Amino acid sequence: MKIALFIPCLVNQLLPQVAIATTELLEKLGHDVILPEGQTCCGQPMTNSGCFNEARSTVMKLLNAFKGVECDAIVCPAASCLVAAKENFHEYDNSPEAKAVIDKLYELTEFLHDVAPVDSFPRAFPHKVSLQLSCHGLRMLELANASESMKPGFNKMAALLEKVPGVEILYPEPRDECCGFGGTFAMDEGAVSAKMGNDKAQAHANTGAEYIVGFDPSCLMHLDGLIRRRQLPIEIRHLAQILNDAI
Amino acid sequence: MSQAQTSVGHAEKADIFCKDEARVDWHSKALWLLRQKRDRAAAAVPEWEELRTLGSEIKLHTLTHLPQYLEQFEANCQKNGIIVHWAKDGDEHNRIVHEILSKHQVKKLVKSKSMLTEECHLNPYLESKGIEVIDTDLGERIIQLNKQPPSHIVVPAIHLKKEEVGELFHEKIGTEKGASDPTYLTRAARAHLREQFLTADAGMTGVNMAIAEEGAIVVCTNEGNADMGCNLPKLTLHSMGIDKLIPNKEAASVLLRTLARNAIGQLITTYSSFYHGPKPGGEMHVIIVDNGRSEMLKDKLLAESLKCIRCGGCMNTCPVYRRSGGYSYNYFIPGPIGIAVGSKHDDTNTIPWACTLCGSCTYVCPTKVPLHNIIAYQRRLKAEAGKLPYGKAGYMPMVGKLMSSPTLLNCAMSVARFSLRYLPGSMLKPFAGAWGKYRELPKAPASSFEAWYKKNRSK
Repeated sequence: MKIALFIPCLVNQLLPQVAIATTELLEKLGHDVILPEGQTCCGQPMTNSGCFNEARSTVMKLLNAFKGVECDAIVCPAASCLVAAKENFHEYDNSPEAKAVIDKLYELTEFLHDVAPVDSFPRAFPHKVSLQLSCHGLRMLELANASESMKPGFNKMAALLEKVPGVEILYPEPRDECCGFGGTFAMDEGAVSAKMGNDKAQAHANTGAEYIVGFDPSCLMHLDGLIRRRQLPIEIRHLAQILNDAI
Repeated sequence: MSQAQTSVGHAEKADIFCKDEARVDWHSKALWLLRQKRDRAAAAVPEWEELRTLGSEIKLHTLTHLPQYLEQFEANCQKNGIIVHWAKDGDEHNRIVHEILSKHQVKKLVKSKSMLTEECHLNPYLESKGIEVIDTDLGERIIQLNKQPPSHIVVPAIHLKKEEVGELFHEKIGTEKGASDPTYLTRAARAHLREQFLTADAGMTGVNMAIAEEGAIVVCTNEGNADMGCNLPKLTLHSMGIDKLIPNKEAASVLLRTLARNAIGQLITTYSSFYHGPKPGGEMHVIIVDNGRSEMLKDKLLAESLKCIRCGGCMNTCPVYRRSGGYSYNYFIPGPIGIAVGSKHDDTNTIPWACTLCGSCTYVCPTKVPLHNIIAYQRRLKAEAGKLPYGKAGYMPMVGKLMSSPTLLNCAMSVARFSLRYLPGSMLKPFAGAWGKYRELPKAPASSFEAWYKKNRSK
């Protein structure tokens, strides 16, 4: 497939290794990968704060970067940015061109699980991983069944990792409680955000896993900052990095 | 209410609450235990998700046909000998209650938990008129003796430890000093409350559901205190918001199945009583209150918050509520539903931001109130009204400009990456605000992905 990458600002600027892994992984899986120019941010920091006027030009800038780009799918390795982009594009633009872009938007896990499924990953990753089920991917993209829901259970990230030989999947307790990042929440509500994050990081560490693996780089970055401050014996990895190493 | 008049924002109050980490852990764990009990109770009902859908549809249907159901309810109440009153706001509600009580020369009123009477500030109003008001739910009585408002809508004294209750009871109702055994304290409270029931002139309750087809009200308690309050005195009063209406008994049966399960993991509330009319020689009054609800009904999204059946499940699951406590919300209802219905009344304009938009509340809700969507929408309403907290009004336009310009953003981030790599952390932390106060700053890469892509992939 021809895939256009949607690389949100945070990943582009601070976590390029996640975007590089995504690119390499998709290429190894036989896809043709391009990076449309002019992408910055999905507008989430502004729209999450209620500031829709302030978000307009940023959102339109991103949308325009994808309009008319020839591709089968637009793939993003960051769940909450993907959700925000989808919602924000709808908010500001009703045109058929915008709809064409929206219809092609996929989060990376979703893409690898539902759109272009992968049969197996040949190289082993003999490690214990604790899954970080970040909220937006979980409840707004349904990448896994949320623990509140009594619907039959499923977990797309676990389903992909199970195809990697040697991976042992563990879950923190509580399994899918918010890590407390929440965009500007981490700045506005510092004490609660840090407490939530520390509780979450500790719960991950308590599993005995070596890595926290997730699909949302922003949550992982927040956890990383807390883990290093408290020197917990666990590291963060984006799903793309594990899968890229396994192929 | 004292907490509503303060100008201290949520973050600041939460910051104070968080200073005692052991207490935060205890509070969070106590409420998480309720969430876990809820999960087990919900999982034991194979049709749980269907019940949620049904509950949502029942409430939405009633709300969209409210005038006809209110008329039907009033007519059927009157047929049953119930006297119906209408109050447009809290003040009118309180006046009506006082008129009824003074007509019957009531000196002491026993009340069973009603968040609506909290909303209307009924207790201080009646006390100013010389009427003694006794809250009779155990938790409510504890906080009444402690001169505090509820910190949770279902477990209102959840913020207090048993030792603190023991101290309070020793001082107020004469239990032994230092006693903190829950059974001992509960027995003492029971004896104390029994005396109140026997000497009260009137009983008052809230209403969990009002059944239009029956002209009946449903009151749910675990302690049976609403029933004591309703069955002993001849005069009873029942206050309800217009959102409590449901069409029929079948609808009640659906909501009763989810209410207690979702609240505390119990199959059904121990006493789920249906009141159809006054006792012989007695009087039964129902006061139907609007107090801003019809205004909310005009907005399609805000209207959905009126589907709430006040189970408190959203508070038990909310990671922010559990770590910031009920008194940090600047509204008498805390947690996600408190933000959904109370943001307009928060003079600090901060409570819509006391949320990470994780969506757990929405998924827990037994009537599918889209809480996180409503909370996000409340932020937008604040922004449009020019009431943004935390300096957002100042910096958001700059963020908007920065983010919409690749050149500006790239420049700023190059500087940031350089600083993160080459300047000592201690120099940067003061500039990194809350992030650096609690976390290590991100490890910065040498260049952006875009630069890598240009170098490695550009044909």
